[in-house]
Amino acid sequence: MAEEKDNKLLSYLERLKQQAATQQHYGGDITPEKAKMDMRDCPKCGAGRAFEKGLTACAYCGFVFMEVKLTDGINIKKENNS
Amino acid sequence: MFGFFNKKYDNPALLEEMKTRQERWFAFLDKLEARMLELTTAAIPGLKEIFDQDTDPYKRAHSNMLQGLLGQINHMRQKANDIQEEQIIDFVYQAEATVPAVTSTVGRDYHNRIMNFRMACLNRHYIFDEKLNKCMQRLQQAAGERNLEAAYQEQLRAFESIRDKFSCQQCGGNITIEKMFFIDTYVTCPFCHSQNTFSPSTGARMVLHDARALAEQRTAHLRRAYEESNPRDPEREKVYLRAMIDEWSKIIPDMAEENEKFYERLLREQSFHHFK
Repeated sequence: MAEEKDNKLLSYLERLKQQAATQQHYGGDITPEKAKMDMRDCPKCGAGRAFEKGLTACAYCGFVFMEVKLTDGINIKKENNS
Repeated sequence: MFGFFNKKYDNPALLEEMKTRQERWFAFLDKLEARMLELTTAAIPGLKEIFDQDTDPYKRAHSNMLQGLLGQINHMRQKANDIQEEQIIDFVYQAEATVPAVTSTVGRDYHNRIMNFRMACLNRHYIFDEKLNKCMQRLQQAAGERNLEAAYQEQLRAFESIRDKFSCQQCGGNITIEKMFFIDTYVTCPFCHSQNTFSPSTGARMVLHDARALAEQRTAHLRRAYEESNPRDPEREKVYLRAMIDEWSKIIPDMAEENEKFYERLLREQSFHHFK
């Protein structure tokens, strides 16, 4: 009887472990990525984004990269608005 | 004058009922405790194993299993609470309503017996609850602490080795990353002033996530000193919190201002907890 109970508990734990290991993670699995450098070119004129003229619009053709108004954050400041 | 206060009252059935209820309640909690301890002891090796095998940076497989087990334990707590409510508390109110008023001599005697029954049952439940909390703690601590310091030092070394290996996507000019970033950041090319986006590695991003835990690991001795003080010394807690926040800000300097605000909040909470 006690042995049967032990087996039941162990099989429950085994099932729980298996379920935990195979369960789909919320937000998906994380694939380790290396550090990289990227740039968003202007889709209209192909120019690179110029820092001096701000981040929200293309300095050459005026294409609007983002509609939002930037506020002061850790790495982005409100001076970065075009 | 009418002999109201000298009336005999005897209710052996109630006394018998209290005795059996108490015995049944104790036996029920004994069984529940045995199951709880059995489950905890059997689950700990599995928890350790899954923690070591889990390659997810957030250890979500381990967390899933832990939550499942904690759910089982909480289910036992709920069951004990329900039974206590149904079989003890309700019974006590019913019994109190049937015996004579507490102001009479016989009434007082019966009320005292009911009170003793109630206290014995509640104390037994308190012991059960304490054991249950210990089991939960054992499960939570089963995997042990991760060596966050080693992971952090590894990321610092990795950053040093790659910081000047990037080039501008516009002009190809060499870009040196001035400091370690933990989130995507705009980096300006010193030659053509184009705005590049630097994306840190997954490992570097995890530093931000683990920073507080690492700061707590570094200052664990101060926390222990506070927790071991009896009664708990608010000054020691303050020393611990200050050191922990300083370490946290040392790891993530960009968050120093926010951490300071958090420190102020913790101090406000502390004065609330230690209110005398």
